[in-house]
Amino acid sequence: MSQAHDHAHGDDDHNPFLAHHFDTMGQQAGAAKLGMWLFLATEILMFSGLFLAYFITRMFYPEMVLEAHEHLSKIHGGVNTIVLLTSSYTMAMCVRSAQTSNTAGIKRWLLLTMGCGGIFMFVKYLEYSAKFEHGMLPGKYYSAHLHGYEIDGLPHIFFGVYFMMTGLHGFHVLIGLAVMTWIYIRANRGDFSASNYAAVENTGLYWHLVDLVWIFLFPLLYLVK
Amino acid sequence: MSKVYLNGQVVAHPHEVHEHLSPVSLYNKIIAVLFVLTGLTYAVSFMDLGSASLMVAMFVAFVKAALVVAYFMHLKYDDRYHLFVFAGTIIFVGIFFGFTLYDMKARDRLNDEQETFLRVRDLEATGNPLKVGVDNVPERADKIRKEVEAHGGPEHGGGEHGGDHKAAADHVPAKH
Repeated sequence: MSQAHDHAHGDDDHNPFLAHHFDTMGQQAGAAKLGMWLFLATEILMFSGLFLAYFITRMFYPEMVLEAHEHLSKIHGGVNTIVLLTSSYTMAMCVRSAQTSNTAGIKRWLLLTMGCGGIFMFVKYLEYSAKFEHGMLPGKYYSAHLHGYEIDGLPHIFFGVYFMMTGLHGFHVLIGLAVMTWIYIRANRGDFSASNYAAVENTGLYWHLVDLVWIFLFPLLYLVK
Repeated sequence: MSKVYLNGQVVAHPHEVHEHLSPVSLYNKIIAVLFVLTGLTYAVSFMDLGSASLMVAMFVAFVKAALVVAYFMHLKYDDRYHLFVFAGTIIFVGIFFGFTLYDMKARDRLNDEQETFLRVRDLEATGNPLKVGVDNVPERADKIRKEVEAHGGPEHGGGEHGGDHKAAADHVPAKH
């Protein structure tokens, strides 16, 4: 038994990142990844509630949604789409660097991804400031009619949906930036290699999900017809 | 010899990490296609396609999402169980959307068919419509009226009594 156990461990016996309750690094990575996919499932279900709120608002007040969305900046939304897609690419390259034990690559691609996330949040800041300035706020805070914007119907509902969707998404981007900072520190410490990169890959999966949500948010909120 | 399992499968060489390594050229192609599709969505939004524009935009978004999931998230080469988790989630989102939107759409017609609000309409026809709002609940209306009277009437709600009393006065049934 003990002999077989030793054989099962093989080279992993010396990997300091193998937790005692796993047999191999591959098994450990597989468990971490399954957990991540289950977490992503809950994330998708959470965002789906907001998307449904959007579709219901759109179903009942099509003219109002059409009119209100004209006040969203297609330029800001478009730039952020390109930035976020680029960041997904750099993140995929970061995971690939980890797969090839290229620590310098992990750090470089991670910094590029974080840079894209930073640009995204900066554009979001510009966009939100303009909305605040024009009183286009959710619910009872809506005051665009006092700033010379007449939108028929229930624009305060539309801006409620807009701020909830983009706000929750932006919050996810911020969390992603925080997690990537942690991954960068660990990469700097030399923690990751081809046999131990589950943390890098799971961070990548999370970041791609944030990108996925934006892929649907952008046409629905900014480009509706 | 004890067996090592990974995702329910016996692992032949347990010390190896079994992961697919995609070539850089594949990632380059995928990001190029994603940019082209983004440009397409942008262009379509300026065309006048009527009700079809939502379908086109959603179709392009689904293609983009599928590319990200399959290649950037490695689901194409990954353990099938992860695909099962992901696809299962999408199916449940579909059930959530389908039933809720159908209910929202069909409710008015169903109410008419089943004469759910016949009594309400009868009352409206007699010129004595059912009151809605807080004064429709007698206990609550009484409580609010007493609160207002304790302050010396609704006209004293604001002014010298300060903010707290104003909030109570806002619930005066007459206001609704």
